[in-house]
Amino acid sequence: MSPQIMPLTFLPLGSKAKLSRISAGTGLKSRLAALGLTPGTEFTVLQHNGGTFLLSVRDSRLAIGSGMAYKIMVELLDN
Amino acid sequence: MNINFEIALAGNPNAGKSSIFNMLTGSHQHVGNWPGKTVERKSGSLKYKDNEIIIVDLPGTYSLTAYSPEEMIARDHLLYDKPEVVVNVMDSANLERNLYLAVQIIELGIPSVMVLNMSDLASAKGIRIDKELIAKELNSFVVTTIAREQKGGEDLLEAVLAQKSKLSQGMKAYEPIKIDYGHEIEVEISELSRLIMNSPAIKKVFPVRWLAIKLLESDVDIQNKLRLLAGGKEIIFSAEGSKIKLEAIFEEDLDVIIADRRYTWIHDLVKRAVFRPKEKFISLSDRIDQLTTHRIFGIPIFLAAMWFVFKLTADVSAPYLDWVDGVIHGPIAGWLYAILYGLGLEGSWFESLILDGVVAGVGGVLVFVPVLMFLYVALAILEDSGYMARAAFVMDRLMHALGLHGKSFLPMLVGFGCTVPALYATRTLENPKDRILTGLLVPFMSCGARLPVYILFAAIFFPHNSGMVVFSMYLLGIVTAIVLGIILKNTLFKSKEQSTFVMELPPYRVPTLRSIWFHTWERTSAFVKKAWTIIMATSILLWFLMAIPVQGIGSFAKTDVSDSAFGVINKAVAPVFAPLGFGSWEASSALFTGFVAKEVVISTMTQVYSVLEEPLEIEQIPTISEGLKEIGVSFWAASIDTVKSLPLIVGINLFEEGVEDDPTSLMSSIRVGFEESSQGHAALAGLAFMVFVLIYTPCMAAVAAERHELGMNWTWVSIFGQLGIAWMMAFAVFQGGKLLGLG
Repeated sequence: MSPQIMPLTFLPLGSKAKLSRISAGTGLKSRLAALGLTPGTEFTVLQHNGGTFLLSVRDSRLAIGSGMAYKIMVELLDN
Repeated sequence: MNINFEIALAGNPNAGKSSIFNMLTGSHQHVGNWPGKTVERKSGSLKYKDNEIIIVDLPGTYSLTAYSPEEMIARDHLLYDKPEVVVNVMDSANLERNLYLAVQIIELGIPSVMVLNMSDLASAKGIRIDKELIAKELNSFVVTTIAREQKGGEDLLEAVLAQKSKLSQGMKAYEPIKIDYGHEIEVEISELSRLIMNSPAIKKVFPVRWLAIKLLESDVDIQNKLRLLAGGKEIIFSAEGSKIKLEAIFEEDLDVIIADRRYTWIHDLVKRAVFRPKEKFISLSDRIDQLTTHRIFGIPIFLAAMWFVFKLTADVSAPYLDWVDGVIHGPIAGWLYAILYGLGLEGSWFESLILDGVVAGVGGVLVFVPVLMFLYVALAILEDSGYMARAAFVMDRLMHALGLHGKSFLPMLVGFGCTVPALYATRTLENPKDRILTGLLVPFMSCGARLPVYILFAAIFFPHNSGMVVFSMYLLGIVTAIVLGIILKNTLFKSKEQSTFVMELPPYRVPTLRSIWFHTWERTSAFVKKAWTIIMATSILLWFLMAIPVQGIGSFAKTDVSDSAFGVINKAVAPVFAPLGFGSWEASSALFTGFVAKEVVISTMTQVYSVLEEPLEIEQIPTISEGLKEIGVSFWAASIDTVKSLPLIVGINLFEEGVEDDPTSLMSSIRVGFEESSQGHAALAGLAFMVFVLIYTPCMAAVAAERHELGMNWTWVSIFGQLGIAWMMAFAVFQGGKLLGLG
């Protein structure tokens, strides 16, 4: 079974996921990469606040707005 | 032997870079702007072992890819100004992400010192770091510091000197590490490097391998610079070819692949050099976040924090504000009068210029200081503790409705204290469009200086509901901003791209007194320096207008306000306000001077309604010692009042005095004047006047800040837009109220 890819927006609270790709312009991708979000990076959803997400990525905590959350495609991992 | 040299301080935001900067330079700092940019440029100097070291504090950045003005500045400084040593500050507890910038700095080929800051936090988490291994792998010097506690500064400076002497001893200068980007990419890098090596003009400016990598990353800024050099275009063309080839292999943007390879290299280093406890535990910071960023609890916590800021700036600073005002208009004005009297200038135009022009101008600047200081203390606590980023997180959804995101909330909030720092606070936003929209909406947040006008007018026209009326003014400002925000979002600022909100939430920390003081002092003094000239100049200009007799009555500086140039101008303007119910020259004079500073609206009214003020008498002037004593005693009294008002922050009034002022002569004069100009609808006219004061063009100082932050065109939009909206809203209140038979 191939892993299911979906936008970050649909991740439940507390879930672990792996970033698969970002469907956005180069600038945005590079910004996210600089913040540690590169393809293959694993992260945890810490909060979920009306479309705005709080993620735990590589020892740091990143807030991601709803506009960006649906451009980030992820693969849900088993906890 | 004295050696002067320059080093640059780089690092991620939240890595403690400013603590390091403050630790090293102490009070020897200079704040300016980067040439042609609104980004702050901080530099400082220090003496260490016969060395005079200049430190340039680069803006905090996550990378050197130059997508924001901050990144561009940091990179250009490193690339073209070539500091002798770069000190890269890293958060020890978040090394993987912080090393990303470190690796880019090293790839640039500049000798560096790596600082593992906040090492106490890392130890507290049970993290151990193998410094030597990191130093070896990065071919750099590595030191640990706890800048907040002033620890490690000497080690850092020793490392800087060691790095520098290593270079000057002519040891095979500095061999930057090479990250292996994998066979396919490396082939293209070598090919491009070979081309670059054959172009002397280019080789001179850019590090070869670094340039090859940047071209593969499609760095637009570098491409533009390269095009201007001989042979540049060919190299860019060749790089584009390599890029297409590689992207076909990887099926992904090449810059993302390159970033990923850097992270892979870093991840491997971190795995070998950083040891963390096996068992996973949830840190205190995360526990606090479970509450503060919670979907439901987050909002009341946020409101409580905002209440704290608001109360601290509005109530707690008030006694000091009165104190500053009292000192300037009491002893200081008195002494100046005594000096002028001694010089025989009593009653001359010069006396009037000094006392009514200059003193008023100085007062106009200085009364801001206590409010700003308290505001900045509150903001420093919120920022240094890490809460500010959470506030942005919690507010993100709401601000979305305005086409903005969470980070815009801070300037809005600051706007309730003072519009000037609020405009400067828009700098925290990366996107220029967000900055401008936020900057345009900020003035609708009713600043502290407008409050006295509401209080006075509410007391005159709505003595029984004054609190309610004042509160509605604040609310009206917010609603106006929301409506305007939605309109602008769907018209001028319409775009398909949703504003992007990504932000790091730093771990919570207890703020240190030292850093709160640094922040407060730095920002307050910056305001005083900037606002000084413009406010002074306008108050003197205003004085001139009031001094010139144009009706043939009186002489220079000895004329009634109504006969002065100022009076005549306002008589001409007044009819504009007639449909709003306050078409008297007195009211328009107050609005006119309100443009200089909202504080002077009331004092102008005192002047133009010819309410008698007690003139200074030489017998009443305190001696120097009496005056100093008075200043000291009143400062003490203000401090006591401040302490008393602290419980007000949580809404407890322990010291209620319940003073109800009897209507003063000013209040009755205003009432009579409005009664007349509105033909019997004074209360409606008063309300319309309050609305106008709320909405119309902010003060001179704010306009100066707008020009600085938004550029001249948007400043004009703001000035005239607000005048127009203010007129329409006041019109709606007055005429609408009359139609409905109110007032």
